[in-house]
Order: sequence, then structure tokens, then C-alpha cells
Amino acid sequence: MPKFTRRDLVKSASLAAPAILLSRLARGAAAFPTKTIQFVIPYAPGGGFDVYVRVVAPVMEKYLPNKVSVVPMNVAAGGGSRGVAQLYRAKPDGYSIGILNIPGMFILQQQQGAGAYDLAKFSWIGAIGEGERYVISVGAKSPLKTFADLKALSAARPVKLSVTGPEGTAYAATMIGSQLLGLRTQLITGYKGSVDYVVAAIRGDSDAVIAAIPTTLRFVRGGTIRVLASFETHSSFPGVPDATALGQPELDKITVERLVAAPPGLAPDIQNTLSAALAKALADPTVVEWAKQNDVIMRSKTPQETAQLIGQQRVFFDKWKKYLTAG
Amino acid sequence: MLEMWLGGIQGLMQVNELAFLMLGMFIGLFFGAIPGLGGAAALALLMPLTFGLEPFTALALSGGVMGGVPMGGSITAILLNTPGSAPNAATAIDGYPLAQQGKAGLAIGAAASANAIGGIIGTVSVLAILPIAKDIVLLFGPPEFFLLAILGLVIVSTTSRGKLLRGLITGGFGLMVALIGYNDVSGGERFTYGIEYLWDGVHLVPALIGLFAVAEMINLSIKGGSVSNNPASVKITSMTSGLLETFRHWPTVIRGSLIGTVVGAVPGVGGVVASFLSYSMTVQAAKESEKDSFGKGNIKGVIAPEAAINAKDCSALIPTLAFGIPGGVEMAVFMGILIVHGMQPGPLMLVDHQVEIYGLIWALTASCVLASFVGLLLVRPLARVTLLDSQILVPLVLCVAFAGSYAIDMTIENVVITAIFGVIGYLMIRFDYPRLTIVIALVLGASAERNFHQSMLMSDGKWSIYVGRPICLLLLAGVIVLLTLPLARGISQQFAGRKPSAQGG
Repeated sequence: MPKFTRRDLVKSASLAAPAILLSRLARGAAAFPTKTIQFVIPYAPGGGFDVYVRVVAPVMEKYLPNKVSVVPMNVAAGGGSRGVAQLYRAKPDGYSIGILNIPGMFILQQQQGAGAYDLAKFSWIGAIGEGERYVISVGAKSPLKTFADLKALSAARPVKLSVTGPEGTAYAATMIGSQLLGLRTQLITGYKGSVDYVVAAIRGDSDAVIAAIPTTLRFVRGGTIRVLASFETHSSFPGVPDATALGQPELDKITVERLVAAPPGLAPDIQNTLSAALAKALADPTVVEWAKQNDVIMRSKTPQETAQLIGQQRVFFDKWKKYLTAG
Repeated sequence: MLEMWLGGIQGLMQVNELAFLMLGMFIGLFFGAIPGLGGAAALALLMPLTFGLEPFTALALSGGVMGGVPMGGSITAILLNTPGSAPNAATAIDGYPLAQQGKAGLAIGAAASANAIGGIIGTVSVLAILPIAKDIVLLFGPPEFFLLAILGLVIVSTTSRGKLLRGLITGGFGLMVALIGYNDVSGGERFTYGIEYLWDGVHLVPALIGLFAVAEMINLSIKGGSVSNNPASVKITSMTSGLLETFRHWPTVIRGSLIGTVVGAVPGVGGVVASFLSYSMTVQAAKESEKDSFGKGNIKGVIAPEAAINAKDCSALIPTLAFGIPGGVEMAVFMGILIVHGMQPGPLMLVDHQVEIYGLIWALTASCVLASFVGLLLVRPLARVTLLDSQILVPLVLCVAFAGSYAIDMTIENVVITAIFGVIGYLMIRFDYPRLTIVIALVLGASAERNFHQSMLMSDGKWSIYVGRPICLLLLAGVIVLLTLPLARGISQQFAGRKPSAQGG
């Protein structure tokens, strides 16, 4: 066998080097993604936002260009602010995305001070599901049968509404909603969780409750709650007045949005890849089936639509800020 | 309804389901034993695994985990004074002294059998109550919760035998700490000094790990030696002795199970209250002469909380399934699993998914019993842990304790809390202050305040709300009885011509 000379070595090295370099470049350019993507959930496992991500993330994996995992990661502290701050500070390389609660995060910033993050600067991927609208309901055993009854009560004395703590979305929805509806209210605050404060109305702790439609529907089907008015532009509840009938179109703007975001400065092509994967995941049969069972409308949004939505939400809630900070 | 019960068992009797049940049980045992981990962490980690499974199988797995956790927790509570999960802190009060006396095997055996029996009684109660479950949950509102919290605080303070003032001091300290954090009723932070971590208040589990595990390890390393200085006794540990003890003290078991069932059915109250309440009531019900032996190794002090914990696990399903109100962190994660599998907790769940629910209840019970069995089998090797020298044991336990504390939610501040409470706990041991009251105050403090405010908002500031509702009256009566009972006993003893007990309670 001919001896492998130094010259041969140099020759092969000089051929190998550009090949290695090229493959490196190719891998980098060969598109994202090449490793596991983390999906940050700023809340504890088992909650509403957590469940949405856990249903969608594994399906998203199917629609990404390469075979990588999308792993949900719970960062539950500070009412959600820690998770959001963590996402904000992460590298904008497409390997960290997260789910944000709007307007929850606006309210949190108001409560805690706008130090760690700026919601306007996130790179938007899309949204999981259509924003949930609110309705005002009473327990099935309540003497109030129609919205007119409720208004009459409000004229006689402040209506008692059960609600979560001031850092919650339900609090904001209740405050703004009751203002728009022209009700005199007294809030019974401090209930923990989105179900707890609705059960409070069923139990009779409060006169009425303002809650999101999916949560309320659960109890409507069980016959334990009666919807008096819907904040939707066109009521999906038969025989119940909606925002149009009540002459308050702004009610429809009170929503809970589950937006998916990435740290500021994300490259547009990666943004599009993620956005497309999310959209396809939401249209996947398994997700659609699950959504139907849980009264969720799984419509996706483009990054542009999402950015627009956030802008609108910000304007809306800035208008109502003064009511929300009145402790 | 009988077909539903049988349907549930049938569904479980498949190889697949049984395999996942066993898997869940072992995972539960492991996670339960390690402080800081626990049912919630186990279920959260298993959630992705359940995706590909049939709903029934996922329930079998979850039931397995939930049944195994308490047994795991009691093992470390007894052997190392380290509650594997928060409710097991009550087990440690008498369990650890037993281990120190060389009777670890006895304690573990008793805990295991109490676990099994408590679980079975809990199941039977749940099955009986399930049809009217919804109505029970609706009976408990903020006024009831407030009085329940007061009852808990009163019961526990009356058990600080001869140390009433110290019990009140530590209880007061616990209440102060419980108030740190964001206040849900009027908004605004209290005592957080701008530290973001304290927004959620002082986290309970890291504090407990510090108070019990770390404090005990500090104590042990200063004392030297091993947990138990009685090797002869450890060596004759037998499996059956603990078993027999439990049957001997059957009133304690029944009492503990019933308390666990009732407390578990009340949403948001949690396992710690169940176990501590059961412990305290057992002390209350004991004969005068026996009362002083509690805290020093009375086996009833192990049986009572253990029975309560397992009974509570079963009945905690009621508010979770009937309304979607989780009884604790573990239940919250479990709800997530249900929803992902298309089972919405709520009034319809009890109608649409009856077979699955019964299957879950059976799975939970089976896992309870099996886990107890495993515990009984391991009694001898486990007891030997108490013979390990502190030089080996202390670093090991401290590492596990701090790592577990961090692992709860990956925050380093948890470890700081554990360290701080470790020092506080050691000082409490050194100067003989009861730790029982601080735990119950930590657990109940914040919710007592919140429920009080809510009751006042409901009634427009009128105190009459507390006497206007039937359950409130009952609870109020309970509080009054508990406060006056020691007094009454003292007086009756005086009448009987004997000297009254030295302390009024």
C-alpha cells in the first residue's frame, strides 16, 4: 500500500475543510428548526392556558419542516410575570415561544410596574383559538329571570358580583362590563380560579357573575346557571340580549386572547415557519375535535393580525385603566 | 348504579390498565417519598405520556400515582422527619420519635395499614356520597370556610399540651408569614419588599421542608449518632406488628378516615388540614393520662393522619369532578389531564362519564392498598435507615431536601426559604416550641383572611351571617365546644374529687 504522505494529508485536509464549512453553513441555513423548541406557559400545570398548549404543541411538531419536539414548560410565579419576563429575555432564535394572556398581562403590568418586559415589542406568532367573549349570568335558583330584572335590582341596591382578585382578567371584564351595562355593583373579590367565582354565583354568594362563555356553557348545560345577557355583538344564546340590543357595542371588545409570541427581534422567515405550523396545527382534525368538545373556536391568526389585535386591546384597556387600578 | 360500579372495575381489569396502574403507583411512591416532589409533579411529568393513551388508561395511571404518593410520603416522614408531601408532616410528629426509639418498622407498618384502610373507607364514603356530591359542595361558601379555618386553628392550638403560650406564639408567627404576598381581596402587595418571588407569598412546601427536614438534620448533626440509638429494637422489626396495632386502634382509624373524607370533600382545604385535624382530634379524644404521650411516639399519632390522608385523596375528587374546583395542586394538574382527554369536569361529568369516574375511584383505592403492601414488604430494609450514622445521613438528606425544594418550580428562592425555615425550625426544636401550630397557621392563614373578607362583602358587614347558615352554626358550636371542653373537664374532675389537670389546655 502506498505510503500516506504528508502531501496527501494536506491535500485531503484542504478538500475536507471547505466541505465541513459548507455542511456547517448548510445546516444553519437548512432551516430552522434543528433542535427542541420550548413552549413557555406562564402558569401552573392543569390550568386553562396550560391545557391549550399541551393539546396543540404535540400536533405542531407534525407541521414543522424538520422533526423536532415542541416541549411545554411551565414557569408559574408572580401571577404569570416570571414566565413572560423569561420569554422576553430569551434569545430570538425561534427556539423559545410562549403563550400570553391578553389582557391579563396588561393588567399584571399595571399592578406590578412595567419593568421587566414591554408587551408591544414581542414578535407575534399567532393565537390559539378565537378570543372568548363574556356573558353575565345568575344562578338557576336566582329570582332574577331577565336582564331587565337585574337592571331593576341595580336601581334598588348595588348588585353583588363575585369575581377573582384584581390581578385577574375576570376582574377587568367585570369592572368594565358592569360600567358599560350601567349597573351599580359591589364586588366580592378574591375567589381563586375561573370556576370558583362562577360557582359562587350558583351557590348564592353573589347576585350575578360575569364570566367567559366556555366556562359558563359548562354550567348552562348542567342546568345550574342562567345567562341574562351576552357581551357578543350577536348573541349565541337564544332569547338573551346582546351588545347590539343593549346599545353597547364596546362590550364585544372585552375578550380573553391566548396569543403565541416569541422574544423581540425574531427573524421573519423563522416567524413565518412557526406561524404556519401553528395555523396548520389548529386546523388538524384532533385539535378541531378537542376544541368542539370544549366549546373553543380554533381559528388561527397571522402575525400581522395578532399585532393588530394587541394594538386594539391596548387602546381599549388604556381607556379603562382608571377603573382597574382603583383598588 | 351497581352496573356502573361493576363497569368501572371491569374496565380496570385489563392487562393494559393494570400495568399502567402499577406504573403509576411506583412513580407515586417515589415522588411521594422525595420532599418537594409529590403528586402534582408526578402528574405534570406524566401528562405528555398520557396523550397517546385511552382516557380510561390515563385515569388508571393517574389513580395509581395519587394512591402511591401518601405511602411514599409517610416513609420519609417517619424515618427522617422529612415529610415527603405536606400532609405527611402530621405523620412525622409521632412517627419520627417512634423511629428514634427503634420502632420505625412498627410505625411504617401502622402507616401502611392505616393508608389502606383509610383509602377503602374513603372510597366507600365517596361512592355513597357521589349522587349528592354537588349539593354538598354548594353548601360550603366563604362563611363556612372561614369558620372551618378558625376551627382548624383552635383545634391545633388546644393540642399544644402545657405549651399553650408557645403554641400561640408560633401560630401567630405562622399567620404573619401567611399574609405575605399579593392580597386577593383588595389588590396590592404586602411585606414583599419588592421581591418578585414573594408575590405568591412564602411557598408552603419549601417552608415545610426547612421546618422539618433541614431542622432535624441540623439537630442530628449537632447531636451526633444516628436517628435511632436502639439497634436491638430495629433488628426485630416485623411486618405484622404495625398491622396489628392499626386493628387494635380501630376507633382512631375510623375517626381519621371520616375526618379525611369530610375535609377532602370541601374544596380548597387540602390534605394538610385533613391530616392535622385528624391528629389533633385524636389527641383531644384520648384519655387525660395518655395525652402527654403524643409527640413522643404514640402510634395513634401515626394512624390518625395516615388514615385521613388517604380518605381525603378519594373524596377530593368530588369537588374536582363535580365542579372543576381543584382540592389542591395535585387535583389541578389532574384536571388538566381530564380536559386534555376530552372529559370536562363539571355537572355533566358525573352524568356522561360515570363508568370512567368509578374506574378512577377503584384505581385509586387499588393503588392505595397495593402501595401499602409494598410499604409493608419494605419495612425491614427501610427501618435500617434509622441506624445509619448521621455523617452519612445528614449530607444525603440535606442534598435531597434542597434539591427537592428547588425542583418544585425551578426557583432558587425556594432553597433560600428552606434554609431560613431550617434555622427557624432548629431553634424551635432547641427551645421546645411546637411546630404543629406554625404549619396549620401557614396553611390556613391566607384563606381564613380571604374568606372572612368575602363573608363580610356578602353580608354587607353584618356578623349575623355566621349564625344564619346551618353549617356555620355547626362549626361555631364546634369551636365553642373545643375551647370550653378542657375547662369543662377540669371542673368535672374537681367535682370528682381529683386535682384538675395542670394546664387548662
